[in-house]
Amino acid sequence: MSETLSPRSNEVLLVDVDVRSSRRLARLLADDGFVVEVLSDGAAAMSRLARWPLPRTLITELAVPSTDGETVARFARSRDPALRIIVLTTHPHLLRPQNVPEPMPVVMTKPLDYRSLLELLREPRPETPTASGLFSEPPADVRSSQADADRNAL
Amino acid sequence: MLEVAKRMRTETRFEELKRYVRLTESDCELLRSFGDLAAPELPRIAAQFYDRIREHEEAHAVFSGEAQIQRLQRSLVAWMERVCGGRYDEAYHEQTAIIGRVHVRIGLPQRYMLTAMALIRVELLRIADEKCGARSGPTREAIVRILDLELAIMLEAYKDSYVERIEQAARQERTDLGVALANAEHRYVSAVELAGVIIVGLDARGRIQLFNKEAERVSGYARDEVLGRSFLEALGLCDTSDAVADRLGQLLAGPATSEVLGAAMRTRSGKLRDVVWSLSSSGNRAADGVVALATGRDVTDERARDERARQNERLAAIGTLAAGLAHEIRNPLNGAQLHVSFLERAIQRKSSQEDMLEATRVVGDEIKRLANLVTEFLDFARPKPPELNPTSLVKALQHACELVEPTAKSARVRLTCDLPSSDVEFPADAAKLTQVLLNLLNNAVEATGATGGGAVLLRGRRGPRQVFIDVEDDGPGLPSPDAPIFDAFYSTKEGGTGLGLAITHRIVTDHRGTIDVSSRPGKTSFHITLPLEQGAGASA
Repeated sequence: MSETLSPRSNEVLLVDVDVRSSRRLARLLADDGFVVEVLSDGAAAMSRLARWPLPRTLITELAVPSTDGETVARFARSRDPALRIIVLTTHPHLLRPQNVPEPMPVVMTKPLDYRSLLELLREPRPETPTASGLFSEPPADVRSSQADADRNAL
Repeated sequence: MLEVAKRMRTETRFEELKRYVRLTESDCELLRSFGDLAAPELPRIAAQFYDRIREHEEAHAVFSGEAQIQRLQRSLVAWMERVCGGRYDEAYHEQTAIIGRVHVRIGLPQRYMLTAMALIRVELLRIADEKCGARSGPTREAIVRILDLELAIMLEAYKDSYVERIEQAARQERTDLGVALANAEHRYVSAVELAGVIIVGLDARGRIQLFNKEAERVSGYARDEVLGRSFLEALGLCDTSDAVADRLGQLLAGPATSEVLGAAMRTRSGKLRDVVWSLSSSGNRAADGVVALATGRDVTDERARDERARQNERLAAIGTLAAGLAHEIRNPLNGAQLHVSFLERAIQRKSSQEDMLEATRVVGDEIKRLANLVTEFLDFARPKPPELNPTSLVKALQHACELVEPTAKSARVRLTCDLPSSDVEFPADAAKLTQVLLNLLNNAVEATGATGGGAVLLRGRRGPRQVFIDVEDDGPGLPSPDAPIFDAFYSTKEGGTGLGLAITHRIVTDHRGTIDVSSRPGKTSFHITLPLEQGAGASA
C-alpha cells in the first residue's frame, strides 16, 4: 500500500498554458524515461496535487490560468515539503521567494534549456527528515480515504 | 566815509540799533524821569498783562501755573523798571537778550510777544500823557524807541533760534541722508552679493569692475584675481562661444540694450559650467565705471538633473516595453527551442545526416542568442535595484582579475591588478560590481588581444569620499573619442549586443557613481567613481 502511495520517482506534473510546447516537452521527457502529466490550468493542477500518489516533480509556469504558479507551488509544498518544484517563467524576477516555503523552487527562464532540465531531473531526490519521517506515506486520514478509493476502484 | 567805515568796525549790534531808532542821551534822561513817575503803576500793568494772557489759551499754555505767573509778574515789573531806568549799555542789551531767549525756550509764540508789548506800550504812553505834562511828547517818543529796541533785541533771540533750528534740521537732514545712503548702499550690496546669480559689472572696454560672491563661488576665482581683467578672457568665454564675444562687442559699442544667451564658463580649475547669461548695457559710454552688466545663472546641475530625469523616464518606458516584449519573445522562443531539441533528437535517431543536425544546432544557437539578447536588454532596461552591502575593494578587484586571467592568458594579454595599499569597504552589490569589472576587463582584453597582445591594468584607489577604479589597456583605442559607447545597441564588436557598456553605465549610476572614458590610440582608460557612503553620491 505505502509503495503505491509514495511519490513516483519518475513522474512529472507539467503545468503551462502553452499546451503545444508542453506536449513537445512531455514527449522529450517521455523519451528519457519520465512519466509526464500535462495540465494547462492552475486550478486543475492543484486538484491533481490533492490526490495521492504525488508526482516527484512539479514543473509550473509562473503565469497559469485560474491562479498563479506561486500558489500552485505553495500548495504542492504543503502536500509534500520534499517535492521538487521547478518554476518556468519569462520573468524570473517576478517570483517572490517569501511566497513559497523553503526549499526555494528552481527557477528556469524560458526558452528552456532542455539539457539543463534533464540534468536537474536526474539528480537524486534530496532525503530530508521531513520527507522520510512524515510524508513518505500520506497522513492516516488520507491513507484510509485513498485506500477506500483504491478498493472502490478495484 | 572813513568815519563810517571805522564805526562799522567798532560799533556793537546794540549801539547800531540805538543809532537806528535814534535813542539819544536826552531820551535816556526822559525815560529815567518817567520811570520814577510810572513806578506805582507798574504792578497794575503787569497784572493786566497776565490777565490778557489768560484770555488766550495758546499763550497761557506756555506757563506751568499761577505760582509761576506770580513770579513772572514780579519779573515784568522789574523789567519795566529796567526799561525806564535810563541806562542802556551792553549789560542792558545782554539782559534783554536773555529774556528773549527765555521766551524762545518756553515756546512763547512771537505773535503773543508782539501783541503783549502793545499792551505795555499803550499803558506807558497813557501814563506819560497823564503825568509828564509838557514833556509828555518827547517822553512818548523815548518810550516808543526803547520799547521797539526791546522788541528788536528779543526778536533776535527768535532769529537765533530759527537759525539754530534750521542748522539743526540741516544737520539732521545730512545725517538722515547719510543713513539713507548707507542703507541704500547696504541694500544694493546685499542684493548684489546675496543674489543667487552671477553678477559681473563691465566697463566700456569689457573689463571686470564688479564680481559678486556667486560669481566667485561658481568660477572659483577671488574678486581680486579678476578685477580689471577682460570678462571674456578671465572666464574663458571666448574659448567656448564666439556668440558671447560678438554680442558683448555690439552691446558695449551700441545703445542701451540687452541680450540673453547661453555659454559655457571655464572655472579656475578648468571645468566648464553651463551658464545662461543676460547681457545688458546702460548705453553710457563712460570709459571707467560699470556700463554693462552680465548676469548669469549656472544651469549645469539643473541640466544634468533634467537630463537624468529624461533618461530615467526613457529607461522606465523602455523597461515597460522590454518587460512586455520579453514575455512575448521568450514564450515563442521556448516553443521553438523545444521543437528544435525534439527535431535534433529525431534526426539523430533516424539518420546521421550531419548537415541536417548542423542546421538544427544553428537554429538552436540562434534561439539562445536571441534569448541572451532579451536577458541583457532586460538587465539594461529594467534592472533590479542593487543590493548594497559592505564590499571589500581589494577582494572585488582580485575576484574580477581571477575570473578574467584565463581569457587574458589565452589572448596573450598581460593582466595587472594594482591594489590599494590598504583595503577599504564601500557599499556595493558585489555581483553587479563584478559584472561591471568583467565587462570592462573582457572588452579591454579583447581589444588588446586583437592586436596580438598587450597589457591591461585594473587599479583601485581610495579617495576622501569615494573609491576610484580604473581599467586601462594599451589597445588601439576607440574609433572616435566621441563615440556613444554607453548608449544601448552601440557596438564595435562583431556579434556584440551593444548592451554591455550600457549595462555597466547603468549599474554604476545605480550605485550613485560615475563612469568616464578617455581614449587615444595606445591607451584607453575607464575611470569609475563610487561613493564610500551611500546617499552621498560620487563626484570626481
